[in-house]
Amino acid sequence: MYLRIVFSREHFRAVVCRSLSAFMLILVPFPLHGQGSDSDRPVPILTGSAGYFTNVDGGSTSLAPIISPVFLLPLGDRWLVEARGTFEGEFTRKQGNGAYGGNVGKEVDYAQLDFIANRYVTVTAGRFLTPFGVYNERLYPIWIRSLQREPLIFPIATETSNGLMLRGGFEISPRAKLNYAAYFSTLSSLDKLESDRAAGGRIGFFFPRPKVEIGGSFRQLLQEERSRSVGFHFAWQPTGTMLNLRSEYAWSSGQGSGYWVEADYRLAQIPVWQSAMRHLEIAGRVQQFFGHLDADEAEEYSLPKTDTQHADLGVNYYFVDGLKATASYGREFSSSGNANLWSVGIAYRFVVPLGRVQ
Amino acid sequence: MTITARVFVRALLMASALVSPVSARAAENRAAESKVVPSIREATSADDPALRAEGEKRFQANCGRCHQFPHKFSPRVILTVERHMRVRALVSEDDMRVIIRYLTQ
Repeated sequence: MYLRIVFSREHFRAVVCRSLSAFMLILVPFPLHGQGSDSDRPVPILTGSAGYFTNVDGGSTSLAPIISPVFLLPLGDRWLVEARGTFEGEFTRKQGNGAYGGNVGKEVDYAQLDFIANRYVTVTAGRFLTPFGVYNERLYPIWIRSLQREPLIFPIATETSNGLMLRGGFEISPRAKLNYAAYFSTLSSLDKLESDRAAGGRIGFFFPRPKVEIGGSFRQLLQEERSRSVGFHFAWQPTGTMLNLRSEYAWSSGQGSGYWVEADYRLAQIPVWQSAMRHLEIAGRVQQFFGHLDADEAEEYSLPKTDTQHADLGVNYYFVDGLKATASYGREFSSSGNANLWSVGIAYRFVVPLGRVQ
Repeated sequence: MTITARVFVRALLMASALVSPVSARAAENRAAESKVVPSIREATSADDPALRAEGEKRFQANCGRCHQFPHKFSPRVILTVERHMRVRALVSEDDMRVIIRYLTQ
Protein backbone atom coordinates (compact mmCIF):
# COMPACT_ATOMS: atom_id res chain seq x y z
CA MET A 1 0.00 0.00 0.00
CA TYR A 2 2.72 2.42 1.03
CA LEU A 3 4.90 1.72 -2.01
CA ARG A 4 1.93 2.15 -4.30
CA ILE A 5 1.35 5.63 -2.89
CA VAL A 6 4.87 6.97 -2.87
CA PHE A 7 5.85 5.74 -6.30
CA SER A 8 2.58 6.66 -8.04
CA ARG A 9 3.43 8.32 -11.34
CA GLU A 10 0.28 10.45 -11.21
CA HIS A 11 1.25 11.92 -7.87
CA PHE A 12 4.79 12.56 -9.01
CA ARG A 13 3.59 14.17 -12.25
CA ALA A 14 1.11 16.34 -10.37
CA VAL A 15 3.81 17.64 -8.05
CA VAL A 16 6.25 18.25 -10.89
CA CYS A 17 3.64 19.96 -13.11
CA ARG A 18 2.45 22.23 -10.32
CA SER A 19 5.99 23.10 -9.30
CA LEU A 20 6.88 23.94 -12.90
CA SER A 21 3.70 25.98 -13.30
CA ALA A 22 4.51 27.98 -10.21
CA PHE A 23 8.03 28.51 -11.44
CA MET A 24 6.89 29.66 -14.89
CA LEU A 25 4.43 32.14 -13.40
CA ILE A 26 7.33 33.88 -11.78
CA LEU A 27 9.67 33.75 -14.73
CA VAL A 28 7.36 35.37 -17.29
CA PRO A 29 7.64 39.02 -16.19
CA PHE A 30 11.38 38.94 -15.76
CA PRO A 31 13.53 38.93 -18.84
CA LEU A 32 17.22 38.57 -18.19
CA HIS A 33 18.92 41.88 -17.78
CA GLY A 34 22.45 42.43 -18.92
CA GLN A 35 24.73 44.20 -16.52
CA GLY A 36 27.10 46.01 -18.82
CA SER A 37 30.58 44.81 -19.52
CA ASP A 38 32.01 41.44 -18.47
CA SER A 39 34.14 43.07 -15.79
CA ASP A 40 30.96 44.14 -13.97
CA ARG A 41 29.53 40.65 -13.83
CA PRO A 42 29.93 37.96 -11.21
CA VAL A 43 32.21 35.16 -12.29
CA PRO A 44 31.53 31.42 -11.84
CA ILE A 45 33.58 30.04 -8.97
CA LEU A 46 34.57 26.74 -7.44
CA THR A 47 34.75 27.11 -3.70
CA GLY A 48 34.26 24.86 -0.70
CA SER A 49 36.29 23.32 2.05
CA ALA A 50 38.71 20.52 2.72
CA GLY A 51 39.88 19.13 6.01
CA TYR A 52 41.52 16.30 7.86
CA PHE A 53 40.54 15.31 11.37
CA THR A 54 41.56 12.70 13.87
CA ASN A 55 38.82 11.77 16.31
CA VAL A 56 39.15 9.64 19.42
CA ASP A 57 35.77 8.57 20.81
CA GLY A 58 35.97 6.56 24.01
CA GLY A 59 39.43 5.28 23.09
CA SER A 60 38.57 4.38 19.49
CA THR A 61 40.55 6.38 16.92
CA SER A 62 39.19 7.31 13.51
CA LEU A 63 40.68 9.36 10.68
CA ALA A 64 38.26 11.60 8.85
CA PRO A 65 39.40 13.37 5.67
CA ILE A 66 36.72 15.46 4.00
CA ILE A 67 36.39 17.55 0.88
CA SER A 68 33.27 19.51 0.09
CA PRO A 69 33.37 21.45 -3.20
CA VAL A 70 30.77 24.12 -3.95
CA PHE A 71 30.09 25.22 -7.53
CA LEU A 72 28.49 28.64 -8.07
CA LEU A 73 27.30 29.73 -11.49
CA PRO A 74 25.61 33.15 -11.63
CA LEU A 75 23.43 33.74 -14.70
CA GLY A 76 22.26 37.22 -15.61
CA ASP A 77 21.29 39.48 -12.73
CA ARG A 78 18.89 37.23 -10.91
CA TRP A 79 19.86 33.62 -11.32
CA LEU A 80 22.25 31.37 -9.52
CA VAL A 81 23.03 27.70 -9.99
CA GLU A 82 24.70 26.29 -6.90
CA ALA A 83 25.75 22.79 -5.98
CA ARG A 84 27.69 21.18 -3.17
CA GLY A 85 28.98 17.66 -2.88
CA THR A 86 30.70 16.02 0.06
CA PHE A 87 33.25 13.24 0.04
CA GLU A 88 33.90 12.15 3.60
CA GLY A 89 35.99 9.25 4.76
CA GLU A 90 35.93 7.47 8.08
CA PHE A 91 38.84 5.13 8.57
CA THR A 92 39.31 3.02 11.68
CA ARG A 93 41.73 0.26 12.62
CA LYS A 94 40.51 -3.18 11.69
CA GLN A 95 40.29 -5.45 14.74
CA GLY A 96 41.68 -2.74 16.95
CA ASN A 97 45.32 -2.72 15.84
CA GLY A 98 45.44 -3.45 12.10
CA ALA A 99 45.73 -1.05 9.20
CA TYR A 100 43.24 1.78 8.94
CA GLY A 101 40.36 1.07 6.58
CA GLY A 102 36.85 2.22 5.90
CA ASN A 103 34.51 3.80 3.43
CA VAL A 104 34.26 7.16 1.73
CA GLY A 105 30.74 8.55 1.84
CA LYS A 106 29.61 10.59 -1.18
CA GLU A 107 26.66 12.95 -1.02
CA VAL A 108 25.07 15.63 -3.15
CA ASP A 109 24.21 18.10 -0.42
CA TYR A 110 22.45 20.49 -2.75
CA ALA A 111 22.09 21.15 -6.47
CA GLN A 112 19.65 23.98 -6.96
CA LEU A 113 18.56 26.76 -9.24
CA ASP A 114 17.81 30.06 -7.50
CA PHE A 115 15.81 32.88 -8.98
CA ILE A 116 15.89 36.19 -7.09
CA ALA A 117 12.41 37.39 -8.07
CA ASN A 118 12.49 40.59 -6.06
CA ARG A 119 13.67 41.91 -2.72
CA TYR A 120 11.15 39.74 -0.89
CA VAL A 121 11.18 36.42 -2.68
CA THR A 122 13.79 34.03 -3.99
CA VAL A 123 12.54 30.86 -5.65
CA THR A 124 14.65 27.74 -5.31
CA ALA A 125 14.07 24.54 -7.24
CA GLY A 126 16.01 21.33 -7.13
CA ARG A 127 17.82 19.66 -4.27
CA PHE A 128 18.35 21.96 -1.31
CA LEU A 129 19.34 21.99 2.34
CA THR A 130 16.26 21.76 4.53
CA PRO A 131 15.74 25.05 6.34
CA PHE A 132 15.26 23.72 9.86
CA GLY A 133 17.14 25.71 12.49
CA VAL A 134 20.21 27.60 11.32
CA TYR A 135 23.06 25.13 11.79
CA ASN A 136 22.32 23.19 8.62
CA GLU A 137 22.30 26.15 6.25
CA ARG A 138 24.73 28.58 7.86
CA LEU A 139 27.13 26.88 10.25
CA TYR A 140 27.68 23.42 8.76
CA PRO A 141 30.81 23.97 6.58
CA ILE A 142 33.92 22.83 8.42
CA TRP A 143 35.71 26.15 7.89
CA ILE A 144 32.83 27.98 9.60
CA ARG A 145 31.87 25.73 12.51
CA SER A 146 33.62 26.50 15.79
CA LEU A 147 33.51 22.92 17.04
CA GLN A 148 33.94 20.18 14.47
CA ARG A 149 31.49 17.73 16.05
CA GLU A 150 27.95 18.29 14.91
CA PRO A 151 25.33 18.90 17.60
CA LEU A 152 23.52 15.76 18.77
CA ILE A 153 20.16 17.05 17.51
CA PHE A 154 21.51 18.04 14.10
CA PRO A 155 19.93 15.04 12.29
CA ILE A 156 16.42 16.03 13.43
CA ALA A 157 14.49 17.30 10.38
CA THR A 158 17.57 18.25 8.37
CA GLU A 159 17.55 15.53 5.70
CA THR A 160 18.14 17.15 2.31
CA SER A 161 14.99 17.99 0.35
CA ASN A 162 14.12 17.74 -3.35
CA GLY A 163 11.43 20.13 -4.48
CA LEU A 164 10.50 23.77 -4.47
CA MET A 165 11.19 26.49 -1.92
CA LEU A 166 10.31 30.16 -1.50
CA ARG A 167 12.57 32.20 0.76
CA GLY A 168 13.69 35.72 1.45
CA GLY A 169 14.99 38.26 3.91
CA PHE A 170 14.00 41.91 4.15
CA GLU A 171 13.54 44.82 6.53
CA ILE A 172 10.18 45.10 8.24
CA SER A 173 11.22 48.18 10.20
CA PRO A 174 14.48 50.04 10.82
CA ARG A 175 14.92 47.90 13.91
CA ALA A 176 13.97 44.47 12.64
CA LYS A 177 14.45 42.16 9.68
CA LEU A 178 12.40 39.16 8.76
CA ASN A 179 13.70 36.05 7.06
CA TYR A 180 11.62 33.10 6.00
CA ALA A 181 11.66 29.89 3.99
CA ALA A 182 8.77 27.62 2.98
CA TYR A 183 9.22 24.41 1.01
CA PHE A 184 7.72 21.25 -0.30
CA SER A 185 9.88 18.20 -0.82
CA THR A 186 8.96 15.15 -2.81
CA LEU A 187 9.99 11.56 -2.21
CA SER A 188 13.09 10.38 -4.02
CA SER A 189 14.80 7.04 -3.66
CA LEU A 190 17.47 7.73 -6.29
CA ASP A 191 20.94 6.81 -5.08
CA LYS A 192 22.75 9.86 -3.62
CA LEU A 193 19.64 11.98 -4.22
CA GLU A 194 17.34 10.58 -1.56
CA SER A 195 14.71 12.77 0.02
CA ASP A 196 11.51 12.44 1.98
CA ARG A 197 8.09 13.72 1.12
CA ALA A 198 7.68 16.62 3.49
CA ALA A 199 6.63 20.22 3.86
CA GLY A 200 7.80 22.87 6.24
CA GLY A 201 9.35 26.22 6.81
CA ARG A 202 11.31 28.54 9.02
CA ILE A 203 10.82 32.11 10.13
CA GLY A 204 13.34 34.32 11.87
CA PHE A 205 13.53 37.86 13.18
CA PHE A 206 16.83 39.66 13.34
CA PHE A 207 17.26 42.82 15.38
CA PRO A 208 20.41 44.57 14.05
CA ARG A 209 20.96 46.92 16.97
CA PRO A 210 21.39 44.29 19.70
CA LYS A 211 22.42 41.73 17.00
CA VAL A 212 19.88 39.21 18.20
CA GLU A 213 18.12 36.66 16.02
CA ILE A 214 15.27 34.46 17.14
CA GLY A 215 13.21 32.12 15.06
CA GLY A 216 11.32 28.91 14.69
CA SER A 217 11.10 26.00 12.26
CA PHE A 218 8.49 23.41 11.40
CA ARG A 219 8.53 20.25 9.33
CA GLN A 220 5.77 17.76 8.62
CA LEU A 221 6.78 14.42 7.16
CA LEU A 222 4.16 13.33 4.61
CA GLN A 223 5.03 9.66 4.48
CA GLU A 224 5.67 6.65 6.71
CA GLU A 225 5.20 7.64 10.34
CA ARG A 226 4.17 11.21 9.33
CA SER A 227 6.24 12.64 12.14
CA ARG A 228 6.18 16.32 13.00
CA SER A 229 9.20 18.38 14.00
CA VAL A 230 9.43 21.77 15.65
CA GLY A 231 12.54 23.83 16.33
CA PHE A 232 13.63 27.16 17.74
CA HIS A 233 16.88 29.04 17.28
CA PHE A 234 18.56 31.96 18.97
CA ALA A 235 21.75 33.86 18.18
CA TRP A 236 23.32 36.86 19.85
CA GLN A 237 26.50 38.77 19.11
CA PRO A 238 26.90 41.25 22.00
CA THR A 239 27.86 44.67 20.63
CA GLY A 240 31.50 45.61 21.02
CA THR A 241 32.70 42.09 21.72
CA MET A 242 33.96 39.24 19.56
CA LEU A 243 31.63 36.82 21.29
CA ASN A 244 29.00 34.75 19.49
CA LEU A 245 26.26 32.95 21.36
CA ARG A 246 24.04 30.48 19.53
CA SER A 247 21.44 27.96 20.54
CA GLU A 248 18.95 25.60 18.98
CA TYR A 249 16.16 23.42 20.27
CA ALA A 250 14.50 20.67 18.25
CA TRP A 251 11.68 18.26 18.94
CA SER A 252 10.43 15.49 16.73
CA SER A 253 7.45 13.26 17.41
CA GLY A 254 9.34 10.27 16.04
CA GLN A 255 12.93 10.87 17.05
CA GLY A 256 13.23 12.70 20.36
CA SER A 257 14.25 16.18 21.38
CA GLY A 258 17.18 18.19 22.59
CA TYR A 259 19.07 21.44 22.59
CA TRP A 260 22.54 22.88 22.31
CA VAL A 261 24.04 26.15 23.51
CA GLU A 262 27.34 27.28 22.02
CA ALA A 263 29.65 30.23 22.58
CA ASP A 264 32.77 31.19 20.68
CA TYR A 265 35.10 34.06 21.40
CA ARG A 266 37.94 35.52 19.34
CA LEU A 267 40.77 36.49 21.68
CA ALA A 268 41.89 39.48 19.59
CA GLN A 269 40.60 41.82 22.29
CA ILE A 270 42.88 40.33 24.93
CA PRO A 271 45.62 42.97 25.40
CA VAL A 272 48.53 40.52 25.83
CA TRP A 273 50.44 38.42 23.28
CA GLN A 274 48.54 40.18 20.53
CA SER A 275 50.41 38.47 17.69
CA ALA A 276 49.09 35.09 18.84
CA MET A 277 45.81 36.16 20.39
CA ARG A 278 44.44 37.71 17.21
CA HIS A 279 44.59 34.27 15.58
CA LEU A 280 42.95 32.37 18.42
CA GLU A 281 39.34 31.48 19.12
CA ILE A 282 37.93 29.45 21.97
CA ALA A 283 34.58 27.71 21.80
CA GLY A 284 32.36 25.76 24.16
CA ARG A 285 29.11 23.89 23.80
CA VAL A 286 26.73 22.10 26.12
CA GLN A 287 23.94 19.95 24.79
CA GLN A 288 21.39 17.35 25.72
CA PHE A 289 19.40 14.81 23.76
CA PHE A 290 16.27 13.19 25.15
CA GLY A 291 14.98 10.08 23.47
CA HIS A 292 14.83 6.32 23.49
CA LEU A 293 15.40 4.72 20.12
CA ASP A 294 16.08 1.12 19.26
CA ALA A 295 19.39 0.29 17.59
CA ASP A 296 17.96 0.36 14.05
CA GLU A 297 16.27 3.73 14.54
CA ALA A 298 19.38 5.22 16.12
CA GLU A 299 21.48 4.11 13.15
CA GLU A 300 18.88 5.26 10.61
CA TYR A 301 18.54 8.71 12.17
CA SER A 302 22.18 9.08 13.33
CA LEU A 303 20.90 9.92 16.80
CA PRO A 304 21.90 8.55 20.23
CA LYS A 305 19.93 5.55 21.47
CA THR A 306 19.16 7.09 24.81
CA ASP A 307 19.33 10.29 26.86
CA THR A 308 22.75 11.82 26.29
CA GLN A 309 24.61 14.89 27.48
CA HIS A 310 27.73 16.45 26.01
CA ALA A 311 30.05 19.20 27.13
CA ASP A 312 32.73 20.31 24.63
CA LEU A 313 35.54 22.82 24.76
CA GLY A 314 37.68 23.68 21.77
CA VAL A 315 40.29 26.02 20.41
CA ASN A 316 40.84 27.22 16.83
CA TYR A 317 43.97 28.87 15.48
CA TYR A 318 43.42 30.85 12.26
CA PHE A 319 46.61 30.95 10.21
CA VAL A 320 44.75 33.07 7.68
CA ASP A 321 41.05 33.68 7.10
CA GLY A 322 40.34 30.37 5.35
CA LEU A 323 42.83 28.08 7.07
CA LYS A 324 42.60 26.98 10.67
CA ALA A 325 43.88 24.31 13.00
CA THR A 326 41.31 23.03 15.43
CA ALA A 327 41.29 20.91 18.58
CA SER A 328 38.59 20.01 21.06
CA TYR A 329 37.84 17.87 24.06
CA GLY A 330 34.41 16.72 25.09
CA ARG A 331 32.82 14.48 27.64
CA GLU A 332 29.77 12.38 26.89
CA PHE A 333 27.42 11.32 29.65
CA SER A 334 24.91 8.67 28.75
CA SER A 335 23.09 5.81 30.44
CA SER A 336 24.88 3.50 28.00
CA GLY A 337 28.26 4.75 29.26
CA ASN A 338 30.42 7.84 29.56
CA ALA A 339 33.25 8.64 27.16
CA ASN A 340 35.97 11.16 26.36
CA LEU A 341 35.76 12.74 22.91
CA TRP A 342 38.92 14.19 21.40
CA SER A 343 39.28 15.82 18.03
CA VAL A 344 42.19 17.51 16.29
CA GLY A 345 42.52 18.59 12.68
CA ILE A 346 42.81 21.24 10.06
CA ALA A 347 40.18 22.94 7.89
CA TYR A 348 40.71 24.93 4.73
CA ARG A 349 38.36 27.03 2.62
CA PHE A 350 39.27 27.49 -1.05
CA VAL A 351 37.96 29.83 -3.73
CA VAL A 352 38.88 29.34 -7.39
CA PRO A 353 37.42 31.69 -10.02
CA LEU A 354 36.41 29.87 -13.20
CA GLY A 355 36.90 32.82 -15.50
CA ARG A 356 38.62 36.14 -15.86
CA VAL A 357 38.42 38.20 -12.67
CA GLN A 358 39.46 41.54 -14.18
CA MET B 1 -1.66 13.15 -2.90
CA THR B 2 -2.70 13.86 0.68
CA ILE B 3 -4.75 16.87 1.69
CA THR B 4 -1.82 18.46 3.53
CA ALA B 5 0.41 18.14 0.49
CA ARG B 6 -2.30 19.50 -1.79
CA VAL B 7 -2.86 22.49 0.46
CA PHE B 8 0.84 23.18 0.66
CA VAL B 9 1.41 22.95 -3.10
CA ARG B 10 -1.56 25.24 -3.72
CA ALA B 11 -0.25 27.71 -1.16
CA LEU B 12 3.08 27.73 -2.99
CA LEU B 13 1.27 28.26 -6.29
CA MET B 14 -0.74 31.16 -4.89
CA ALA B 15 2.35 32.75 -3.38
CA SER B 16 4.13 32.38 -6.70
CA ALA B 17 1.23 33.94 -8.54
CA LEU B 18 1.33 36.87 -6.13
CA VAL B 19 4.96 37.53 -6.85
CA SER B 20 4.37 38.38 -10.51
CA PRO B 21 1.77 41.15 -10.16
CA VAL B 22 3.64 42.73 -7.27
CA SER B 23 6.70 42.97 -9.43
CA ALA B 24 4.72 44.09 -12.46
CA ARG B 25 3.28 46.99 -10.50
CA ALA B 26 6.82 48.04 -9.71
CA ALA B 27 7.65 48.28 -13.39
CA GLU B 28 8.68 51.91 -13.07
CA ASN B 29 11.35 50.84 -10.65
CA ARG B 30 12.38 47.89 -12.78
CA ALA B 31 15.53 49.52 -14.04
CA ALA B 32 16.79 50.13 -10.54
CA GLU B 33 15.48 46.84 -9.21
CA SER B 34 16.96 44.80 -12.01
CA LYS B 35 20.37 45.66 -10.61
CA VAL B 36 20.10 43.19 -7.83
CA VAL B 37 23.76 43.80 -7.19
CA PRO B 38 25.51 47.09 -7.87
CA SER B 39 28.02 47.25 -10.65
CA ILE B 40 31.64 47.25 -9.69
CA ARG B 41 32.03 50.83 -10.95
CA GLU B 42 29.12 51.89 -8.73
CA ALA B 43 30.60 50.00 -5.82
CA THR B 44 34.15 51.25 -6.04
CA SER B 45 33.19 54.85 -6.69
CA ALA B 46 31.61 55.11 -3.28
CA ASP B 47 34.86 55.53 -1.39
CA ASP B 48 33.29 57.39 1.47
CA PRO B 49 34.32 56.89 5.14
CA ALA B 50 30.70 56.94 6.28
CA LEU B 51 29.76 54.31 3.71
CA ARG B 52 32.77 52.26 4.73
CA ALA B 53 31.74 52.42 8.39
CA GLU B 54 28.20 51.44 7.46
CA GLY B 55 29.57 48.61 5.32
CA GLU B 56 31.66 47.27 8.17
CA LYS B 57 28.70 47.48 10.52
CA ARG B 58 26.46 45.56 8.15
CA PHE B 59 29.17 43.04 7.38
CA GLN B 60 29.54 42.32 11.10
CA ALA B 61 25.78 42.14 11.63
CA ASN B 62 25.19 39.75 8.72
CA CYS B 63 28.35 37.90 7.69
CA GLY B 64 30.31 38.29 10.94
CA ARG B 65 27.76 36.27 12.87
CA CYS B 66 29.04 33.11 11.17
CA HIS B 67 32.55 33.75 9.89
CA GLN B 68 35.49 36.12 9.94
CA PHE B 69 36.35 38.88 7.51
CA PRO B 70 37.40 37.19 4.26
CA HIS B 71 40.59 37.62 2.30
CA LYS B 72 40.67 40.23 -0.36
CA PHE B 73 38.88 38.71 -3.31
CA SER B 74 38.39 40.16 -6.75
CA PRO B 75 35.17 42.19 -7.11
CA ARG B 76 33.78 39.68 -9.61
CA VAL B 77 34.27 36.86 -7.09
CA ILE B 78 32.67 38.96 -4.34
CA LEU B 79 29.60 39.55 -6.51
CA THR B 80 29.17 35.79 -6.89
CA VAL B 81 29.74 35.03 -3.23
CA GLU B 82 27.31 37.74 -2.15
CA ARG B 83 24.62 36.37 -4.45
CA HIS B 84 25.24 32.96 -2.89
CA MET B 85 24.95 34.49 0.59
CA ARG B 86 21.82 36.36 -0.32
CA VAL B 87 20.17 33.02 -0.99
CA ARG B 88 21.91 30.95 1.68
CA ALA B 89 21.97 33.38 4.60
CA LEU B 90 19.00 35.50 3.49
CA VAL B 91 20.96 38.74 3.51
CA SER B 92 18.59 41.53 2.52
CA GLU B 93 19.02 43.38 -0.78
CA ASP B 94 19.89 46.66 0.94
CA ASP B 95 22.45 45.04 3.20
CA MET B 96 23.96 43.24 0.25
CA ARG B 97 24.46 46.47 -1.72
CA VAL B 98 26.26 48.13 1.20
CA ILE B 99 28.37 45.05 1.94
CA ILE B 100 29.44 44.72 -1.68
CA ARG B 101 30.52 48.36 -1.71
CA TYR B 102 32.48 47.77 1.48
CA LEU B 103 34.17 44.60 0.28
CA THR B 104 35.08 45.96 -3.14
CA GLN B 105 36.62 49.20 -1.89
